[in-house]
Formats: sequence, C-alpha cells, structure tokens
Amino acid sequence: MARDFAADIADPIAREIVSNVGTWVDKEVKPQASEFEHADTYPDPLVKGMSDMGLFGIKIPEKYGGLDLSFECYAGVCIELARGWMSLAGIINTHVLVGYAISEYGTEAQKQAYLPRLVEPEIRCALSITEPDAGSDAQAIKTTARRDGDDYVINGQKMWVTNGHKAGVYLVMTKTDPAAEPRHKGITAFLVDHDVPGFIKGKKFEKLGYKGVETTELAFDDARVPATAVLGGKEGSGFQHIMSALEVGRINVSARGVGLAQSAFDDAIRYAQKRQAFGKPIIEHQAQQIRLAEMATKIRAARLLTLDAARKKDSGIRSDLDAGIAKLFSTEICQEVVLDALRIHGGVAYSKELPLERYYRDAPLMIIAEGTSDIQKIVIARSLVKDYPI
Amino acid sequence: MNIIVCVKQIPDPETPSSSFKVDEAAKKVIPAQGIAPVVNPFDPQATEAALRLNEADGGGKVTVISLGAESARDAIKHALAMGADEGVLLNDPSFDGIDNFQTAVALAKAIQKVGEFDLILMGRSAADWDMGVVPSGVGQLLGVPVVSVAKAIEKNGGSVKVERVLDDGFQTVEAPLPAIVSVSNEFGEPRYPQLRQIMLAAKKTVQIWSAADIGLGAEETGAANRWLPLEALYVPKVESNVEIIEGDSPEEKARNLAQKLRAAKLI
Repeated sequence: MARDFAADIADPIAREIVSNVGTWVDKEVKPQASEFEHADTYPDPLVKGMSDMGLFGIKIPEKYGGLDLSFECYAGVCIELARGWMSLAGIINTHVLVGYAISEYGTEAQKQAYLPRLVEPEIRCALSITEPDAGSDAQAIKTTARRDGDDYVINGQKMWVTNGHKAGVYLVMTKTDPAAEPRHKGITAFLVDHDVPGFIKGKKFEKLGYKGVETTELAFDDARVPATAVLGGKEGSGFQHIMSALEVGRINVSARGVGLAQSAFDDAIRYAQKRQAFGKPIIEHQAQQIRLAEMATKIRAARLLTLDAARKKDSGIRSDLDAGIAKLFSTEICQEVVLDALRIHGGVAYSKELPLERYYRDAPLMIIAEGTSDIQKIVIARSLVKDYPI
Repeated sequence: MNIIVCVKQIPDPETPSSSFKVDEAAKKVIPAQGIAPVVNPFDPQATEAALRLNEADGGGKVTVISLGAESARDAIKHALAMGADEGVLLNDPSFDGIDNFQTAVALAKAIQKVGEFDLILMGRSAADWDMGVVPSGVGQLLGVPVVSVAKAIEKNGGSVKVERVLDDGFQTVEAPLPAIVSVSNEFGEPRYPQLRQIMLAAKKTVQIWSAADIGLGAEETGAANRWLPLEALYVPKVESNVEIIEGDSPEEKARNLAQKLRAAKLI
C-alpha cells in the first residue's frame, strides 16, 4: 500500500492512465525486475505488456494511429515505469523521442512511412548522437553524410546507443557540412533503417546499471541512404531538431529520477518501521525521521518540477529551461535519496537480495544521460540570460 | 450475449492494519486517510469473464452496474476501460448503511430496469465484508439459477457450463440461461486496460439511478430497514504467545510438545 502516485496529474484521463500503469508496474514489473536486471536480459514479456497497453503510441498523433496524449501523462507514465525498473522508462524514451522528432519535423512521407509502425510497435527507435570524441560537445561529431546524386553516403562511428541492436529505425546526427560556422548549421539528422548496407551494429557495452536494455556502438561504412531520409528534408536543421527532441528526453530522464527515488523511499520507510535498534523501530530515532523527511521533500519537489516541465512542453513553448531544471534536480536528488535509502537499510542493502543495490547502480546513469548535470546548468544559465536581457 | 456485471468499490484491502479504524459507536468503518478506494479485486475477473465469453461468441453487450457512492463511478469506469459497453451507478442517500440483502434487492430491480439479459456475473464476494451472498440473493429475486465460485465458464447453446472451485477439488455443472455466476480468482488474471480504452471509457456516460428510479420503496432501503441488524462492529484483538518447549534432548522436547498439544486437545 502506498500513496496515490497519480494524484498530482491534473487531467483526469491522464490520471487514470498513470494509475493503471502503476498497477501494472506493481503487479508485473516489481516482482521480476531484479531477476531481469541481474541476468542483463532484455525484458521481452514486460516490453510486450507495455506494447499491449499502447504505451509506445502515447505521443504519436491520432492521425497516424497513436494516442497523442499529453507530456504530463507521458511524464507520469515514465515515473511509474521507473518506479518499477528504470530501464523500462529508458526503452520507451528513445522511441518516444524519435517519434516526436518525426511528428514535429518530418516530411509528410516520413510521417506516413514511420509513425503508424511506431504505434504497435512494429519497429522501435534509437537515437544516435554521441561519438568516441563527442559527448557533451555534440556539435563536435565527426560522422559525415556526403551527398552523392539522389543519395547520401554516411561514414563514422557512434557510441552509447540505447536500443542499438533492437531498433528498426535510427535517428542519426551527422555532419553534412563539416566546415560550417556556426557548427550546428552543418548538422543534419537522418532516419536510417536498420538494414541499410554498410550500417553496422557494434558491440554491446557492459554497464554498471541500466541493464536489460542494450547500449551499443554503431558504425557507418559507406552506408548509403536516399535523400528522402533527411529528417524534414532539409540539410542543416538536424541540430535544432534533435535538441528540441532532447527536451522530451530530459523530461523522461527527470521522470526516471523521480520514479527511482520514489521506489527507494518506499522501501526505506517500510523498512524503518520494521527494523528494530536500541529497543524500538528505527523510524522512532530522530536521525532516521529527519533523513526520511528530507528524502520525501526532495522527491515531492522533483515530481512537481517534472510535471511542470511536461506541462510547459504541452503548452507548445520552448521548455529547455524547465526541462533542464527538472532533469538537473530530479537526477541529483535521486542519487542522494538512493544513498539515504541504503543508509537506512544498513548492511542488508548491500545484498543482491534487495533491490537497493540495483537502485544504487541505476541512479548515476541519470546524471549523465540526455545531457550531464553540468550541461543542464549551462542550458539553464543560457536560458535565464535570455529571460533577463539588459 | 447480453451480460450484466455487478462491481463494487471497497476500501483498499491492502490498507495497513495501522491505518484501519472503526467507529464502534456509529458501527462504521472510517476510510483510511490518503488511501483511495479500489475495485473489489474479484470484480475485474467477472468483467474479464464477460468480455471473454462475448469475444468467443462473436459479439454481445456488457453492462456494468455498481451500487455505491459517487466515487464508485471509478469502479464502473475501470470495467468500461477493460471493454464493457455501458455503466449504471445506483446512488442514493438511502443506500448508506444497507445490508447485503437490501443490496441484492436494489441490484435485482436495477437489472430488471436494464431489461433483457442472458447472464449476470459477479465477483465471488466483496473483499470488504466477504459474505458472498449477493449473487444468491439476486438469483432468488429474479428467479434464475445461481452458480458460485467459477474458475471457468463456457457458453453451451442455451446454457452455461461452469467449472466450480470446491474445498477439495473442482465440480462442473451446467445451468440454463439466463443465470447468475459468481467468478473466483482462479478464473485467471483480468486484462490490463489499454490506454485507448481508458480514453474511450472516459467519454462514455455512466447513468445514475436513484432508489426511486429503480422502483425501490422507502420500506425497502435505508439502514433502518436492514434485514440483518448490525449489533456491533469492532477491530478484533489479535494476541499471540510464544512458548519455548524445554527438554534435554530432541526426543524429550518432542515428547513434551506432544503432551502440550494433547492437553490443549489439538491432537
């Protein structure tokens, strides 16, 4: 028994959806998440459950068979998925993010070709930005796409691609004009199908956490794609399109931080009422009360910041400031809350028999993925300067 | 088939005992703060049974009825989100504090108002009072056969074949339609509502019928007219004692344990 996690969702239909996803998480995900995670196995039955509920079409426009639900609803769903297992919210992240990029910036032909297939989903999506020498400095990518008649020829290497082996379509950031200044004007995004000759799926990384879902290298060796594969059909807009889509990704990762922190807190407050020390339950010791109060306060703030960022995105205005603030705060407090949950549990938290060690290994991903905390601060500061012109 | 499913909203059975309170003077359960009521856990299985039967039959209609507070609309909406077609909420101040028999009367009247039906499905019992008598009551009032605690239901022409759960096995019986079947948890997991169905359910109208709408007279409803007067309501005190059986050897400990159990007439 726990609090009603959907209560903060304003829209009643979204609240009902989030509540139902939460029920599914409690019944189907929580009992088996650690087993999948320890085996580092792709959770096919859980992904099928997500698909059966229709989660993969959550942000696809109705015109193309999707549900076109709000970002508020999406954020609530991601919080609940991460409350069960953070990796599930990761599996849906790149899918929704790429679907959003196609919906917002794709040509009509691209929308018709891909969006209906993302609903079921017949295919899943991956986003490919990072390279061995380009992480936070995304404009430093070296992967090139050279025009050749009606085609482009892509060459380069990519890293840290979620869904890297299982995706059907990849949104790949390339340079079509390496000499362009400013650099982002030379960046173009392509929709690359999984079976393009010369497109090589590389090794799967062994990771600290974020297991179950594969994170891989990709390589392009004279991979030839038609000019119609340029997202939106226009060279030089790729950086803008992908940065906009990353706002959606930051809402997702922020939600993951909230969900994971909530799960750690739920375990900790139950354990604190059962565990006896010095003749009474440890929750009656003031040190643990203070710790739990601080944890709950942080989670509450993170939850509201995340939903606020989602609502800003729903309103159609740029939300990089709000998504950045939410992502920065939620993921940093997630680390703190998980560590506090370990302190409350003591030695038993170090055992693989409890999920605490999984939370502890999963938490650091969020301060890195979709822009590190330092990058968030830069995004936030730059946005703030725009709000305070002199 | 035209199937009617009766569902009930109850306090969450997972509510921790520390949050569970009873007003002994008013003989009422005080809802736990911050814990929303839920659909009786056996009822989604009744809805699932209705949906599966109609899917196997190539079509039909599922109408959901609930008697309860305004919030019981959520229990109906859940069934609609699973795929039921229509919902009716029986809501009237005079329903406050009525017993199972009065509930059966109200449900029977509502079912008669709905009109023709082939099958009525209910959960095996409600997890709040856990008496399981409403299906029999409705069956008696409507004059239709009742089959309880079903783990499997199959339409067989003009009848239903039902596999029942017994204490020591299973029993297969057949009842002519129309009939009432109460569905047990052994039936299998109910489906999770799809997001699209939740959105569609939100757009469906739940009709609200008062006691007068279903033709209930003042003498048939209200806590004052309970068939089953409630004498007292309280949280039972649970006490447990631990006694270590002494002895110099395992054999002696076992002998002492056996003597204790025999003295307590447990063996």
